[in-house]
Amino acid sequence: MTDEPLLAVEGLRTTFETDSGELVAVDGIDFTVERGETVCLVGESGSGKTVAVESLTGLLDQPPGRIEGSVRLHGEDLTDLSARALRRHRGASIAYVFQNPQDALNHCYTVGWQLVEAIRVHEDVTKAAARARAINLLDTVGIPEPASRIDEYPHQFSGGEKQRVMIAMALVTRPDLLVADEPTTALDVTIQAGILRLLDDLKAEYGMGVLFVTHDLATVSQIADRVVVLYAGTVMERGTVLDVFERPSHPYTRELLACLPGHESGLDGGARGGIAGSLPDPTDLPNGCRFAPRCAYAEAACSAGDQPAEVDLADGHTVSCIHYEPGDGPSVLPAPADSAAEAGESGTPPTGDTG
Amino acid sequence: MGLARYVALRVGWAAVVSLIIVTVTFGLLAAAPNPSVQQAATQAALEGGNPQEAVERERQLRGLDEPLHVRYLDFLQGVYTLEWGWSEYRSQPVTTALFDAVSYTAQYSIPWTILTVLLGPLIGVYSAANMYTWRDHAATGFAFFGYAIPNFFFGIILLLVFGVWLEWIPIVYRTEVPTFSLANARQLVIPVFVLVTGSIGAIMRVSRNESAAFQNATFMKTAKAKGVSPLRAYAYHVMRPTLVPLSTTLVGQLLAIFLGSSLLVEVVFGIPGLGRLTFNALVAQDTNLVLGSTLLFTFLAVVGNLLEDLAFTVLDPRISYDDRDL
Amino acid sequence: MSTDTDPSAETDAPRFDKVDWEACAGDRGARLSLNTKLFVLTVAPILALAGYDWYAVGARETTFGALAAATNLQGPFDTLGLDFAIATVDYAFAVTLLLFVWYLVAPLYQHPRITAYYWRRFRRNRPALVSLAWLLVVFGGGLLGPLVLNAPEQNVLAGHQPPVGLSVADANVAECVGEVTDGRCAGTWKYPLGTTRGGLGVFKGVVYGMTISMKIAFITTTLVAGVGITVGTVSAYAGGWVDEVAMRAVDIVLSFPTLLFFLLVLYVYGAGLGMFIVVFSIFGWGGTARYVRSKALSVSEEEFVKAGRLSGATTRRIVRRHVVPNTASSIITQLTLLIPGFLLAEAQLAFLGLGDSSIASWGQLIAAGRSDLTFAPWIVLAPGLVLFLTILAFNFLGDALLDAVDPEATTEADR
Repeated sequence: MTDEPLLAVEGLRTTFETDSGELVAVDGIDFTVERGETVCLVGESGSGKTVAVESLTGLLDQPPGRIEGSVRLHGEDLTDLSARALRRHRGASIAYVFQNPQDALNHCYTVGWQLVEAIRVHEDVTKAAARARAINLLDTVGIPEPASRIDEYPHQFSGGEKQRVMIAMALVTRPDLLVADEPTTALDVTIQAGILRLLDDLKAEYGMGVLFVTHDLATVSQIADRVVVLYAGTVMERGTVLDVFERPSHPYTRELLACLPGHESGLDGGARGGIAGSLPDPTDLPNGCRFAPRCAYAEAACSAGDQPAEVDLADGHTVSCIHYEPGDGPSVLPAPADSAAEAGESGTPPTGDTG
Repeated sequence: MGLARYVALRVGWAAVVSLIIVTVTFGLLAAAPNPSVQQAATQAALEGGNPQEAVERERQLRGLDEPLHVRYLDFLQGVYTLEWGWSEYRSQPVTTALFDAVSYTAQYSIPWTILTVLLGPLIGVYSAANMYTWRDHAATGFAFFGYAIPNFFFGIILLLVFGVWLEWIPIVYRTEVPTFSLANARQLVIPVFVLVTGSIGAIMRVSRNESAAFQNATFMKTAKAKGVSPLRAYAYHVMRPTLVPLSTTLVGQLLAIFLGSSLLVEVVFGIPGLGRLTFNALVAQDTNLVLGSTLLFTFLAVVGNLLEDLAFTVLDPRISYDDRDL
Repeated sequence: MSTDTDPSAETDAPRFDKVDWEACAGDRGARLSLNTKLFVLTVAPILALAGYDWYAVGARETTFGALAAATNLQGPFDTLGLDFAIATVDYAFAVTLLLFVWYLVAPLYQHPRITAYYWRRFRRNRPALVSLAWLLVVFGGGLLGPLVLNAPEQNVLAGHQPPVGLSVADANVAECVGEVTDGRCAGTWKYPLGTTRGGLGVFKGVVYGMTISMKIAFITTTLVAGVGITVGTVSAYAGGWVDEVAMRAVDIVLSFPTLLFFLLVLYVYGAGLGMFIVVFSIFGWGGTARYVRSKALSVSEEEFVKAGRLSGATTRRIVRRHVVPNTASSIITQLTLLIPGFLLAEAQLAFLGLGDSSIASWGQLIAAGRSDLTFAPWIVLAPGLVLFLTILAFNFLGDALLDAVDPEATTEADR
């Protein structure tokens, strides 16, 4: 085992050229994923999480998009690779499971055809061998009677089953890293638990790293080893799941947790209606801390300069907020400014947890 | 419902439709004054005889004095036993005349169909993949041009340019030329070109619009994430779904153009095919031949529509036979 | 929304399922819209004239001649130049023009916001703008041409004149209207696009051809729209066996080999302009009916229609207020795309010799010039190009309309 993490993302910056100017979706984030661990990328819709993970393997259309920074898989920088070389990693070393299984499968081909394609694009095996592997994997993900269902079309599967098929398709090449972008958001609550459990089991069995994108903190608490909190394309806080849930430091993290029913945020404990205000315009980002316009603790200094550098609070737990010094605990935060109460009552529509 | 039953029902309906069309044709022709009868009357009048009697005699001779329904049933019987009567104009049995003409029509329509079916969807998908670039605009421009320019006009101009001025192709179509020869190819190149430019436009536009939607579909993202190359992604994941809606118009459009343009192209280029035969038969008021031609065209149309429906069914696995229009 | 759950409260809190629609909307029962009233107002004199023409004017008199005689207004009529006969086709044309004005153009003025919205999107498509300009030229030429220019006349001595700016060998021409230099006969402005074999000015021919094309376009489309929309909506709403029967009928109509039947009918019954229009209409409504039906069905599945029904609105209200506005624009677009087909068919039939040679349509001109192609190509080229450009323009227009109005639509009628 080398010291290199499985995935090391450094300074990832993704921008888009639009009619209204340059849109900065991801503004220089770093994170790592180790083998066998689940890292959750958390944030509201529009925080840049999906763009970030799709930038890893260049899934975005490159004009108008532009990806900068380095993405190292086992030490090899993916951003340096040619398109063809990068394609060799897609599906083979890094596999994806997307949010909506409804349209993720091509309705004209059988599930088996699509699974076999996933294998044969990367490996030189016979159709029969690939098919056998596919059946095996369908079984592993919990599709009953895989040998007959493999020849069925996507519309003959339910939503939950389709997502299992997607997982099978992602794993059929035994990837090193599995990127799951809100895989359970579009599914019934009763099915979600099953999928999450499946992912966890497979992670252990295959020894993969899992990068799990979500806006749902409840899910995060169930499956994450480490958490990275994103807001408007930058990292606000990161740490182990325990750190973030028990000692949430960044005001944004606290607000997120406060939105969970029954969770004690440490601020005023008890449910709030949501976080007032909305994400900044990505073509016209504010100076200083991105969250300042909505932050209960904002001061004048918060809106000046750049996003505050990340401060080390404890081992691996960092926060991007000027109110913290290295080694501080969360109680360091001053009492909320008066504007907080007004913001909560002013009637600005709170943001909800819509996917 | 099951595929077999659906096919059977569709075929049955096709038979009904052709019967109706054939009946209408019969009706139209029966309602028209018969030339030989008129001729007899005129002649009798000129010779000082009794036109009325001459008409009666002529009608008896031709079997036109039978009651309408008897004539109709006779006609129907003839149709289904392939005894389509005698063509006055060609002094041949109708079936022979038709068969001769079809062979000439086939010589240009088969290459035309193959080229359109192959090139149309391909250009459309290529256009969609390069949407809004100059390639797309060029392809769309070409499609619009071909679609809009009247075939006969285009044919005349090309004949003028390539036949008269440049003398690269013969102006007069020669039937003695063997079918599979270079000379035949030379004299058929412009007609096929004119037809292809006309039909490809429509097909390509539909294909472009449909595949544009599909290339942004989630399953394309899945394919990309799986590591599928762009070429393969377009060839398999875009082309195949595009064929579904395309198939609903492909056959129909081809048929429409065939039935319409074949006549004009044949007139312009002097090819003695099915269209020209029909037209001449009409002018000569050769009832039997006109009926025979109409039957043939109708059968073609009906079969084409049937194929189109079936293709649609087969191509889209999501469709169940129960809840779809017959 | 009432939050009062006290059952003893006698307040008549508004409930959405008890809306009195008639009271809300005012008594709209039998009232006609403004547009309809204006239409009736302007169409009445035309129909009156038509009735007079039909019943009172003899076969040898011209409409206005008879009217002038009857009302003793010969003097004024003469100065106004109103001395021509009006054919049935012309009446039909006038009626459809009025329909167009009051039901398509006027609403655009009456709803400026949505017009501006469509226009902004349409404007982005430059070829479509050029097409619109061209079509306006054709439309203007067709309407005003016959009023401004005299009908093209035959003049055998002036046959085969070249267009202005070009010249042909003098030997080809019977008598050169322009100057003859070096044995070449030059074109003149008298015949800007040259003449046919019979000395007919091609330019005038093309302009008069615009009128014919406009007539065909408007009348046929109106008829096809009328039948197609009626059948389509009735089919969609009645459902059941009515729907089945209607769609079978459409199947049959669509299965006819159309050009062949045009030939048949025209040959048997004669080929005047009116006949063309009738025949095109009979065979042309199938596609529209199918399209309208599928549009109506899909709109009725929309949530807002269901919401309307839940609130108690009648079917009639839903159709008028929700279905029609939503489908109208798509249907108009589809109809626009039918017009080039009709124009093309007329040209084809004329080319085959089946047209009425007294009507100066573009197809007739092309047909007339075909034999002289090698030495007098302008006879074929001028009307041919104009026809081509017009068909092209309609296609661009229709496509752009489709993009502006219904961006998610696909271009085929079957869905």
